[in-house]
Amino acid sequence: MKDRMFVLILAMAALALPAKSQSSSASPLTLPPAVEKELAAHASDVTEVTLNKSMLGFAAKFMNDNDKNEAAARQLIDGLDGIYVRDYEFDKPGEYSMDDIENLRKQFDTPEWQPMVRERDRKSGDTTDVLMKVVNGQSQGMFVLDAEPKELSIVLILGPIRMDQLGALKGLGGLGNLGNIPNGVTVKGKAKDNDK
Amino acid sequence: MRPWLWIPLCIVALLVPVIVLAGGAGLGFDGVVRSIELRYNTRATRIPFMGLASLVAGTVTHGGVWGVHVAEFEQIPTPVDGQELDRIVTEKLGEGWQQMIRETSRTRREQTLIFSHPEGSRMGLFILDLEGHELDVVQVSVDPDHLNQSIAQYRHLHGDSHPRSD
Repeated sequence: MKDRMFVLILAMAALALPAKSQSSSASPLTLPPAVEKELAAHASDVTEVTLNKSMLGFAAKFMNDNDKNEAAARQLIDGLDGIYVRDYEFDKPGEYSMDDIENLRKQFDTPEWQPMVRERDRKSGDTTDVLMKVVNGQSQGMFVLDAEPKELSIVLILGPIRMDQLGALKGLGGLGNLGNIPNGVTVKGKAKDNDK
Repeated sequence: MRPWLWIPLCIVALLVPVIVLAGGAGLGFDGVVRSIELRYNTRATRIPFMGLASLVAGTVTHGGVWGVHVAEFEQIPTPVDGQELDRIVTEKLGEGWQQMIRETSRTRREQTLIFSHPEGSRMGLFILDLEGHELDVVQVSVDPDHLNQSIAQYRHLHGDSHPRSD
């Protein structure tokens, strides 16, 4: 019995070792960290925004309820679980691997992620994908992947989202373009699918 | 096992995690500043009486802002490897700090890093801003509720209580 206690105490002490080295900055953005580093290394401009629920709650507290726009933004982000943005700008085309982008797309190729917009421009090489996460008929997230030869933008928003409220996020870093997503697109409606 | 052996064994077992955790000396704000000084072979300008200023800020904002740390580097040799700077800060800030924002522009030689650290009702914020040869590092602990109250007072004083229409 005493020997077991001895082992237990030592085991508890040993547990402190790995606890120290654990990373707490896990992001649900499914880009492998190595790919993120590679993209950042090649990009001339990098913007990375990682806002989890506690950070969003913190940001929401600074929003002025008397201001119509800020009140709308607060209402939206209060319910969100996280906002993750990655934006990379490159000096010249071909600085990122299309295989990585395809792998990223595949990770969202699940029944709960429904495509809303799929745009392919063969001439310029631009591609845009907008997917909505739908759980029990409710939108629970949005994923935007915009790949241009010299720019790559990835946005992941987790939590209940209403399209008409997205414009309220314009003020948050890296989310300016969200207000341009057409409000008329509905989750159950036909996805906009352009292949130019 | 003899009973008297338990005492030193327990002490050793308890000391191991203490020593391991204390081994992170040089972490936090001072650790980041020291690492930048060593890496770029430069000295940070410390603001005199910062402790007093922090105390005043805490009192004036009713606890909205505490623990203000500021360091300024005026001669950072360029170009700075943004990834390396990011790694130095991430490693030296220590456990519990999460990166909120990273903005790097190699062409404009700018880098902004913002880290947060939830502290109950408060939020620790660490901000690093590099612009050309100048690098500013700030750490602050914020209580949003108390700070908002203080801001609202000033907003009221400046007649900014009406809804903004922008």
